[in-house]
Amino acid sequence: MAVMVSWAATAAAEDVVSRDVKFFSEGIQCYARLYLPRGFKPDAKAPAVVLAPGWMQTEATIDKYAARFAARGLVAMAIDYRGWGRSGGSVYLAEPVRVDDRQRFSQHTAKVRIRRKRLIPADQVLDIRNAVAFLQGEPGVDPARVGVWGADMAGGHVVVAAATDARIKVGVAQVPVIEGKEAGRQASPRSPELHAAELRLARSAALPPATTPAGADAETRLALADYHPFWFADQIPDATAILFVVAEHDARVNNETNAVAASKLMKGPTGVTVVSGATHALSAPGAFETAADAAAAWFLKYL
Amino acid sequence: MVDWRVVRSALCAIAAVLAFADGALAQIPTDIVERSRADLQKQAANPDMKRDGGTQPQDWAYSLPDGVTTRQVTFYVDGGFPLYGKLFLPRGFSARAGRWPAVVVGHGINAISIGIEKYGARFADRGLVAMAIDYRSYGFSGSEISLLEADPTTDERAVWEREARVQLKRTDLNNFHEVEDFRAAVSFLQGEPGIDPERIGIWGSSNGGSVVIMVAAQDARVKAVVSQVAGVGNRPATGPVAIPAAALADSIQRARTGHGAEVDGGFSFRTKIDLWSNQVNREFRPGAAIDRIPEATRILSIIAEHDELIPAAGAPDAARAFKGTWQVVVVPFMTHFQMYSGTAFEVGSTLAADWFLKYLK
Repeated sequence: MAVMVSWAATAAAEDVVSRDVKFFSEGIQCYARLYLPRGFKPDAKAPAVVLAPGWMQTEATIDKYAARFAARGLVAMAIDYRGWGRSGGSVYLAEPVRVDDRQRFSQHTAKVRIRRKRLIPADQVLDIRNAVAFLQGEPGVDPARVGVWGADMAGGHVVVAAATDARIKVGVAQVPVIEGKEAGRQASPRSPELHAAELRLARSAALPPATTPAGADAETRLALADYHPFWFADQIPDATAILFVVAEHDARVNNETNAVAASKLMKGPTGVTVVSGATHALSAPGAFETAADAAAAWFLKYL
Repeated sequence: MVDWRVVRSALCAIAAVLAFADGALAQIPTDIVERSRADLQKQAANPDMKRDGGTQPQDWAYSLPDGVTTRQVTFYVDGGFPLYGKLFLPRGFSARAGRWPAVVVGHGINAISIGIEKYGARFADRGLVAMAIDYRSYGFSGSEISLLEADPTTDERAVWEREARVQLKRTDLNNFHEVEDFRAAVSFLQGEPGIDPERIGIWGSSNGGSVVIMVAAQDARVKAVVSQVAGVGNRPATGPVAIPAAALADSIQRARTGHGAEVDGGFSFRTKIDLWSNQVNREFRPGAAIDRIPEATRILSIIAEHDELIPAAGAPDAARAFKGTWQVVVVPFMTHFQMYSGTAFEVGSTLAADWFLKYLK
């Protein structure tokens, strides 16, 4: 379903330094691994890239891309979305707490419920954008030269982020899922089952049964039904360069109706790189290197 | 000295254009505006009725109409975040009998539902179920919450419960969240016994009037919309909005520390908001979503003639761009915050109720 990568592949990154960083996305503590090129200095003005994992994936599945980008001279930050991997979850009060409205901020000790493994695409886009802001503040990074990279569902996030965030100058969408081409642009009724679920969620704070697999719960399905990254494709500015990297034999994504169709709506520099012989996971011999080097070259050219 | 004949002919010209665009049958009668003209003019001239920069507490007061009852409810958004609503139930309402039309009533920017409860009461007096809501982190709704300690949870489980040091935050202004809050309120009402889920409307004023347009663009369950003194505009989608230097620096600080700068949120309730909230709301462009509103959705814009905050052309432009029915009514002489009191309240709330009763039938 999404990019699966073995840990062994990370070994490529000689000469690269990495460290854990914490960034905040709407107040949630999020985790990322920051990769720095050899000889990187805090007084430099280096280009930088945020890397976002695919659906139900963590930073661990993509940090080999970050390492390879860093080996090519890019600062690279592979993130965990909120609620996944080493990032914090969504926090809710589990007991009533009295708030004094004269104080905008107040501190309490309280019983909380922390939810993890939620899948809200629009929130993941915000996590990417907040990681961009973090990178812009990193000493040695040129805040005017920041790009984003995403695989699978995050390829669609790249399109949305580039269309909504003026800070993002370059994007690479790898084996992207860019939903919405065929969806009617007008608001339309949900299926009876989803509609019933929507009413339930609004009328009760009850959580989905613990047996519900991540991604199969009503909240995720409702959020996905409202998420149409394809609609953002024609809003990407002409100064923003977007590369689509696709697998020749992708069984999960139709390249024509996703990457190729989206690339035709780009106003600025664009291209579609086909990794021959590869499937969605880009696990074929040499596929990772081809895909990562195509992306790195794109970032280096346009950042 | 204003020449009223000129003003009047200008208003008639606007009305004529809109009547041409929408078809006269789709309109509601607006003779209450003409009948109230002298009183509106008096309200405009009365120094005690000036409302520069916000409403005043006496504008929020109302008497509950005979037979109208209220009930406070909690509903949920974003995976279990509690929101506050106050239901206004009309005379004769029964959860066991009948299928009543219902309306969500949403407040303006950096405000709370107390200021617009009187619209809920008025709508209930006219036979509509109404629910006045507080958006996330406003009024009686829940607070934004963040941990003051490291989050120790892992993907081993989807739900964790523990005691923790937390920070609660109020007035976290965000138009995108308000759209979700409205939609959760629609869901709540649709599931409420006695309410007809096919007859749901939404009312919003000022910034809330912009939010209801975006709700209509995202949610086909909404059949009728009233947008009062709202910036709408028929702006095409043009991609990312510019980020001023101060906002850019603030976004970096927020991402690296969890906290950004505050600014005065202004208007009736005068609390602080995040500086970043202004940037978020600049990204919020309902005028670029007009073509996403189902043509069967019926929209009424109520404009204050001398609105000092909202460009006059916005709602008429949007109405022209919309392929369905979108009526625009101008309330003469009024400034933005005068719409919530006196004769202007009577006119605005009557037109809104008329609209809902016509199109939630």
